[in-house]
Amino acid sequence: MLDRQNYLKVKLFLKFSRDVHGRSSLQISNDFEHLKALLLWAGSQSFGSVPTINTSLPDFLFQKVEKGLDQAELQRILDTNQRFLLWMKAMFPVEFQNIRLSWIMKISAISEGKEVII
Amino acid sequence: MSENQNTSNCRISRNVLIKAPGLLPMLYTPREIAEDLDVPETTLRDWLNHGAPHSRDESNHIWIDGKQFAAWVDSQRNARKKPTHPLQAGEGFCMRCNTIVKIQDGEIRPVKGHLRHLKGKCPICGGIVNRGIWNAGSAELSQG
Repeated sequence: MLDRQNYLKVKLFLKFSRDVHGRSSLQISNDFEHLKALLLWAGSQSFGSVPTINTSLPDFLFQKVEKGLDQAELQRILDTNQRFLLWMKAMFPVEFQNIRLSWIMKISAISEGKEVII
Repeated sequence: MSENQNTSNCRISRNVLIKAPGLLPMLYTPREIAEDLDVPETTLRDWLNHGAPHSRDESNHIWIDGKQFAAWVDSQRNARKKPTHPLQAGEGFCMRCNTIVKIQDGEIRPVKGHLRHLKGKCPICGGIVNRGIWNAGSAELSQG
């Protein structure tokens, strides 16, 4: 079972994106699909403790590459997740003080040596 | 505590059939799942009354497991498919009785090319039953 608080934060971010940044319904729908990867990766753990998860988010997504995810889509998912985590750190600085900015910035860069066969 | 009430088939829209597999393995409130599937909450509550899986906590709040709900939606799609029964030799569909019957006193008439027309009587109501047959031989009548 996934952590409900994580899901509610994702929903809050999507509402914020729509109301403040004026993102369209299609963009919101795409963002939600991208953020589902983060929700599944975090599992039952709160987002506050995600840096302690053994498998990194890019590695988790690379496992999905074999199931038909291409590299461009992978990069878009990572970018959306990075945007969400930055927003979360800005909006809930106390709750997510364990998440370091440097860790968030590393997310979207696909590590060297990783190859995606399309 | 899980509860299932009236377990009849529901009409599920194509949009829901597409979106339901994307539900996450977590507990949703009816409002959240209705938003995610883009259906009115009243429709969702109607499905719950028709046997969609859900549970209630000690405060009597409804919780829906996303994966169980997706499985239920999939089962509804399959439940609406009517079982097929190909017509056997000598059988026809009686429009009066609204059922498949063995044609009595069958008579084959050529229509065009390989197409033949089997005309006979319904053993139940005695009404005329017609059936088109392709390249029919005497086997159609011997069993009928």
